[in-house]
Amino acid sequence: MTMKAQLMGGGEKSFGRGSAAVERVSENRRAAATNPFSTTADGAASRARRWLERSSVGLLRAATYVVLCCGLAVFGDIALKGSRTVFRAEWPFVNVEFLTQAPESLHVFEYAGESREMGDREFRAFAASERARAVAAEEEGRKGRAAPPAEPLRSQSYVYAAGGIWPCIVGTVLLVTGAMGIALVLGVGAAIFLSEYAREGRALRLIRLSILNLAGVPSIVFGLFGFALFVNFFGWNVSLLAGWCTLAVMVLPVVITAAEEALKAVPRGLREGSLALGATPWQTIRRAVLPCALPGIFTSSILGIARVAGETAPIMFTAAYVVRDKLPWEVERISDFVFQGVMALPYHIYVVATKIPQNEYSSRVQYGTAFVFLGVVGLLALSSLLLRNRFKTSW
Amino acid sequence: MPHRLPSENSPDFSIRQRHRRIFGLTREDAIRAFFGGHAVVAVVVLALITLFLFREGIGFFAQQRESFTRYRQSGQELVDLLREQDRAHAALGRELGELRLRMGAAGAAEFADYEERFADAALPLRELAGELGDIALEAKESATAATRLETVAQLVAQYPQIEKTFVELAAEVNTLAAEWGKLTEASPAANLGAGAAPKNGPPARAREMVYAQKRLRAYVAALPVALEEIRSWSATRPVSQWQVVKSFFFGPQWLTASFWQDFYGVVPLFTGSLLVSAIALCLAVPLGLGAAVYVSQIATARERRLIKPVIEFIAAIPSVVLGLFGIVVLGQLLRSLSQVPWLAWVPGFPYAERLNALTAGCLLALIAVPTIFTLAEDALGNVPRAFKEGSCALGASPMQTTWRVIVPSSLSGLCSAVLLGLGRVIGETMVVLLCAGNRIAIPDFTAGLGAAVQPVHTMTGIIAQEMGEVVPGTIHYRALFMVGLLLFLIALALNYTAQRLLARYRLPTL
Repeated sequence: MTMKAQLMGGGEKSFGRGSAAVERVSENRRAAATNPFSTTADGAASRARRWLERSSVGLLRAATYVVLCCGLAVFGDIALKGSRTVFRAEWPFVNVEFLTQAPESLHVFEYAGESREMGDREFRAFAASERARAVAAEEEGRKGRAAPPAEPLRSQSYVYAAGGIWPCIVGTVLLVTGAMGIALVLGVGAAIFLSEYAREGRALRLIRLSILNLAGVPSIVFGLFGFALFVNFFGWNVSLLAGWCTLAVMVLPVVITAAEEALKAVPRGLREGSLALGATPWQTIRRAVLPCALPGIFTSSILGIARVAGETAPIMFTAAYVVRDKLPWEVERISDFVFQGVMALPYHIYVVATKIPQNEYSSRVQYGTAFVFLGVVGLLALSSLLLRNRFKTSW
Repeated sequence: MPHRLPSENSPDFSIRQRHRRIFGLTREDAIRAFFGGHAVVAVVVLALITLFLFREGIGFFAQQRESFTRYRQSGQELVDLLREQDRAHAALGRELGELRLRMGAAGAAEFADYEERFADAALPLRELAGELGDIALEAKESATAATRLETVAQLVAQYPQIEKTFVELAAEVNTLAAEWGKLTEASPAANLGAGAAPKNGPPARAREMVYAQKRLRAYVAALPVALEEIRSWSATRPVSQWQVVKSFFFGPQWLTASFWQDFYGVVPLFTGSLLVSAIALCLAVPLGLGAAVYVSQIATARERRLIKPVIEFIAAIPSVVLGLFGIVVLGQLLRSLSQVPWLAWVPGFPYAERLNALTAGCLLALIAVPTIFTLAEDALGNVPRAFKEGSCALGASPMQTTWRVIVPSSLSGLCSAVLLGLGRVIGETMVVLLCAGNRIAIPDFTAGLGAAVQPVHTMTGIIAQEMGEVVPGTIHYRALFMVGLLLFLIALALNYTAQRLLARYRLPTL
């Protein structure tokens, strides 16, 4: 219909200008009414449409802010309750004991009419001194003076609720650094080969595809694999080494893909220029390509670290102990170092969240551990974000 | 300063360098081989994953077949057939009881009496199953197949007894079914339904009464079939491979460390995973896609700078911390929300279990949102500018452009975002382990949407929970690897489909 109107308008043009102009205006209005995109026409339909538009914007905005609020609510809850455990109102403002001690049982008891809380070691020392005092008092009493009868200390004990999480922090740091070391060396090397040396072809495409697909495999499956290969087949048992390898394998696809992307982002001109100047391939890679790609590799590797640090499932049966008295460096032989299990923050959270009865005392250590863990992982993620914004380069 | 040309003696100038060879390789070759070695190690390690999952998992079928053979030879299977009949009877009895409760107090006395008689009808059957069960259990303990078959002969000798029990049961239930008809006619509630009554209630009840009678008759009719199945049972028939495979992939129960017989059926775990993921996606897809559309099309630059890092930060929250949040805060919160009186219309509300599929699903949604958001936002951003400009130039409003041009043209990207989000959710372990309630049972879908608040167990959760306690090499260990293998394949399939979607429907670059 619009086509026809235009044709007619065109035809009329030659006869009379004025009438054609009037005609065209009315045609325009009619065209506007049939234009599905038009918003100029007035009327109930367009008002409804405008209302629809505004409400859809409102819905989208609501969805976005609901997500933000949920995230912030989780973070806020952990931070608020966790900071009560981790921070102190007076100097040194940080709960040093929580960050530097091993976990121990908490004893709660009545003493001289007031309720007291003590860690296991402190409680034993206290109980021993009480006993000594009682014995001394008894001897005094034998000498003729009346002494207050010594009451045995009756305490309620809560496992893991006292002490700190120092071994867990150490274990997590060890696990993360070792795993990232292995993954970076292997992953960046493989990426250099894949992007610089390997010839494009079906085999390379297949390898790339499988690496990309493996990046989405659930972490628990990597844990199973690590348990089968490193713990059982190689006979390393539950150990740091098995944990390193499992975590490294888990993050390897991510590192390879990211490093390859960073290498690919370096423009061809740099390579060709370097080769044209007579540099060997290795010189080209070392002097021209790697320096440009390093920030990208660095950024993505920190993202990988955050992922490694945040995972619990792969280390559950490859590296983590529920509790261990000794710190990792307290080993008899150096070679034992890599064959020992460690405590780790995420596993500790799992243990205190599920394996012990819930009460106000256990909730302190739960939130404290979660807060410290969230802080560590959040810092890693944040630094990766900042680095990415800083090194954002376009060629 | 004069520009110095690289002198001929400069070590950097490689044309002049002599190529020293080590084992016939130049330095460049060696470096190349070095990096090649890295690549090979990486690829081999990644290939080993598949290999080891298969290696450890595939042995499950042989071992389970052996276990099933023993199960059959000892006659436990026969006893289970009897017990199944007993269970069916009990289920029907419960149904009748529920019907009575719905009927209200009217006719309670006669019905209670009736129910008792119905339950008693199956007593001989139960006693028989118990006796035979003891014999079968003894047979299971015996080491050789010959002794087992000997005891089975004892069981087979009981066939006349079984037949008699079935016939008696059929006769009893038959008379009961006939009496049910009389009872319904006599019952004031049913009479109410037949005569003048409020429109909706009683006629529906009367219909239910008639329906119950039909169920009773059908039950009686099915009895000879069950008897025939028991008669045709044979201890010497070999267990087929297909039956073992079926028992894993379609088996309705996951029963471990049982004194009777272990069953490893993945269905309860799979449905649990599916239910939790469905809840998570129901929440995460609208939120994630909505946020992506908002950020890429509507939000101002300043808003974008605020929203994107926060969502990326949500992605960095470790799942175990979310799980802890679910245990300590969210589970309690949702439960008390469900007990608010004016929310009673919501299906499944109110509920008593603090940890259930809904709690886990809500937290998993928070895990899936960043994945969906990031990928969807990328996809929306990749729509060529010309599309948007063209649409706007034609007079479309921004929202019309968004809904009719941008979203349809990036649909493949949005779909792959949702698929990858699903992959992320199905593979998540800690949240479901901590919050899903860990009850191994197929969710009762007859409750409709109310199934969402039942506690479930998931594929990832079962691995994490039981792997620490099993002895390597046992059936249980291998069954867990089979579950892992299934997860692995699901994840690969989801990832692959998502990538194919992206590649297939890639927009032409303008």
